Amino acid sequence: MTDTEERKAPTGRTPTREHLLDVYRMMRTIREFEERVHAEFATGEIPGFVHLYAGEEASAVGVCSNLDGRDTIASTHRGHGHCIARGVDVVEMMAEIYGRKTGSCHGKGGSMHIADLSKGMLGANGIVGGGPPLICGTALAAKLKGTGGVSVAFFGDGGSNQGTTLESMNLASVWNLPAVFVAENNGYAETTSSAWSVASDNIADRAAGFGMPGVIVDGFDFFAVHEAASEAIARARDGGGPTLIEMKFTRYYGHFEGDQQTYRADEVEHARAELDCLKRFADRVTETGELSRADLRAVDAQVASLIDQAVDEAKAAPLPAEADLLTDVYVRY
Amino acid sequence: MGDAIVGVVANPLSGRDIRRLVTQASVFPTAEKANMIQRMLTAFGAVGVQRVLLSTDLGGISAAVYRAIQRHRPQKPQNRQDARWPEVDFLDGQPIRQTAQDTVGAVGRMVTAGARVIVCLGGDGTARVAASAAGDVPLLALSTGTNNVFPAVREATIAGLAAGLVATGAMPPGGATTRAKLLEVRVGDRTETALVDVAVSTQRHVGARAVWDPATVTQLFCAFAEPDAIGLSSVLGQLHPVTRHEPHGVTARLAAGAPRQVLAPIAPGLVVLVGVREIEPMHPGSVHAVDARAGVIAVDGERELTFGPGERPAVRLRADGPRCVDVSAVLAASARLGLLRRAAADPGPAGTDVKGGNT
Repeated sequence: MTDTEERKAPTGRTPTREHLLDVYRMMRTIREFEERVHAEFATGEIPGFVHLYAGEEASAVGVCSNLDGRDTIASTHRGHGHCIARGVDVVEMMAEIYGRKTGSCHGKGGSMHIADLSKGMLGANGIVGGGPPLICGTALAAKLKGTGGVSVAFFGDGGSNQGTTLESMNLASVWNLPAVFVAENNGYAETTSSAWSVASDNIADRAAGFGMPGVIVDGFDFFAVHEAASEAIARARDGGGPTLIEMKFTRYYGHFEGDQQTYRADEVEHARAELDCLKRFADRVTETGELSRADLRAVDAQVASLIDQAVDEAKAAPLPAEADLLTDVYVRY
Repeated sequence: MGDAIVGVVANPLSGRDIRRLVTQASVFPTAEKANMIQRMLTAFGAVGVQRVLLSTDLGGISAAVYRAIQRHRPQKPQNRQDARWPEVDFLDGQPIRQTAQDTVGAVGRMVTAGARVIVCLGGDGTARVAASAAGDVPLLALSTGTNNVFPAVREATIAGLAAGLVATGAMPPGGATTRAKLLEVRVGDRTETALVDVAVSTQRHVGARAVWDPATVTQLFCAFAEPDAIGLSSVLGQLHPVTRHEPHGVTARLAAGAPRQVLAPIAPGLVVLVGVREIEPMHPGSVHAVDARAGVIAVDGERELTFGPGERPAVRLRADGPRCVDVSAVLAASARLGLLRRAAADPGPAGTDVKGGNT
C-alpha cells in the first residue's frame, strides 16, 4: 500500500493522473476487502463481529487523500475503509480480522480495534461517538506543537447523536482546533433510521450551533467529497478552525454481517446500480481521458491478487499463543 | 373547473452546499422551510384553496408539516379568516432518492393531479428542476437556497395569498403570470436547461457542484443579468444589464487578463474581480457555441454536464420558459379588483374542515 508518509497531498483542485490512480486503487481495495470479508465471514472462520464499509468508499478516500503524514484520523466500528484509506497494511488488517498473531494489533483487537499510530490512524472504535474526543486531543497537540497537522474524526449518524461528539465539536470550536468532523450518514444507526433519530434531520445543520461551517456532500461522489474535504482541511491547517461535513449515502451491507435488514427496501440495489462511487469514478475519469479502462483493469487485477494474498496469509498465520496474553497490556511512554 | 389545488414542493437539501465552507453563505434551517409551508397553508385557507399536494422528503420538512397539521386547532374569531387550512395530501408512496429526481417526480404528480399553481421552495437549482417538470402550470419559486436569482426572497404568507388567488380562479388569468426565458444547453444527446445562467468551466469534474471559483469560468450565458443580482449573472449585471422581461439575453467570454474588469458578487461573501471580453446579446432561438474543448457546464450555478473533445456544446435562448406567478402583479390586481375585501359579516370563502394528512 502507498505509505501516507510518502504520499504527497494533492495540490490544486484537479487531481493528477497519479493521484487518480492512487484514489481508484484505494477505493477498489476497500471494496474488494469488504466483499471478501463478507464472503469469508459466512464460512464461520472469522471470529467476532464485522461491520462492512462497502458503498462508502468515496468518503474515506475523498477525505484521506487530502491528508499527509502530520495528520491523524479516528474511525468507527465500521473502520476498515478508513484504515485502508489511511495506508494501514491490508495484509496485517486481514490477519487482525482473523485474530492472527501477524495482525495489525497482534490478533488481540479484531475488526473494531484496528489501529496503526505510525500511519496516524488512531483506531477503529467499538464505542459509538468514541472518535471525536480523541481527535480533539491530537488536534490540540498539533496546534500547541505547531506541526500544521489536521485531525479528522469519522462518525456515523448514530454517533452524531452522542454527547461525546457534540461536546467535541463544541470544544474544537472553542479552542479553534485544526479538526474536521466527518458525519457518515448512511441512513441507519444499526436499524434505526436517521430520518427519525436525528432531530435536526441534517447532521450538517448542527454545525451552526457550534459556530462552524456545516456542509452536505454526496457521499457516493469522490470528486464532491474530495473538493469539500480539501477546503475543510486547508481551512483547518491555516488556523481557520473546525468544519462539519455530512456525507449522504448508504451502506451496501447490513449493520453487521448477519443483519437481516428488514428495515429497508430497495435502496441498496438502487445505489449499486445508479450511484456507486467506483462506477461513477471510473466513468468520469475515462470520459475525460484522464485514465483508461485498461489502467483501471490493471489496478483491479493487482487489488484482487493483494486481497487473495491477504486472506491466504491470514488463514495460514498462527493464532496468538497463551504466552501472548500478557504482552502489550501496558505501554511505556 | 376542478378543485382549487396548489402543489408545494420543498427541497430539503437546498442551502447546504460547499459555499457554507468556502464563503459565509447562510444556512436555511429545515424548521423554517416547514414554517414557511405552514404560513402558506394559512394564506391558502384564507383565500379558499381546497387542497394542497405536498412533496415528501427525508429531510424533515414534510414530517414537521404533518405534525403541525395534527396540532393545528381551527379557531374562528370574527376577524380571522385564516384559521382553516386546506386539506393537505402528502405525496408519499414513491421511493425518496434524495436527488433532483425527487422534485421532478413530485411536480409531475402535482401536474397530473390537477394542481393549478406549483410553489417551489429551494434555490435556483430547485426552481430549474421544478420548472422542467411543471409544463404549463404556473410556478411560484420562493428562495430557501444560497445565491438565488430566480426564486424570490419573499414572505411565504404573501406568496401563499398570490398563489391561492391564482389557484382559486379569483384572479383573472391575464396579468397573473409571466413567461420566463430559458437557456437550453445541448451536449451530444444530453440537454439541460437553466433559468438564469449557463457557465462554462475548465474544471473537469462536477465535484461539489457549486461554481465558486470564477477563475475557472471561460464563458457565460445569461437569460437575464440584473445589476443587483448575486451569482455569476452579476458579472454581466454590472456591465450589460438585461431584465428578465426583455426578450434577449447576454453572453460574454471571461478571462483573467481581459481589459474590462468588474467586481462581482458571485456568491454570498465572495466579491471577486472578473475579466470580461466580447459581450454580445443573445437573441431568442440563436445558437451559441461553447469555445472550450473540454470542461464542465454549470446551469444556474451548479456544475451539471461534463464534456470532452469531439463534443461541441451549444447554448440557445428560448422564450418559452416556465409560466411564473407574478406575486406583485397579482396582489396589485387584487387591490384593484377588491379580491381580499370582505363584507363585515362575511364568513369568508367556504373552506373544508381541517384534515390531517393521509399518510
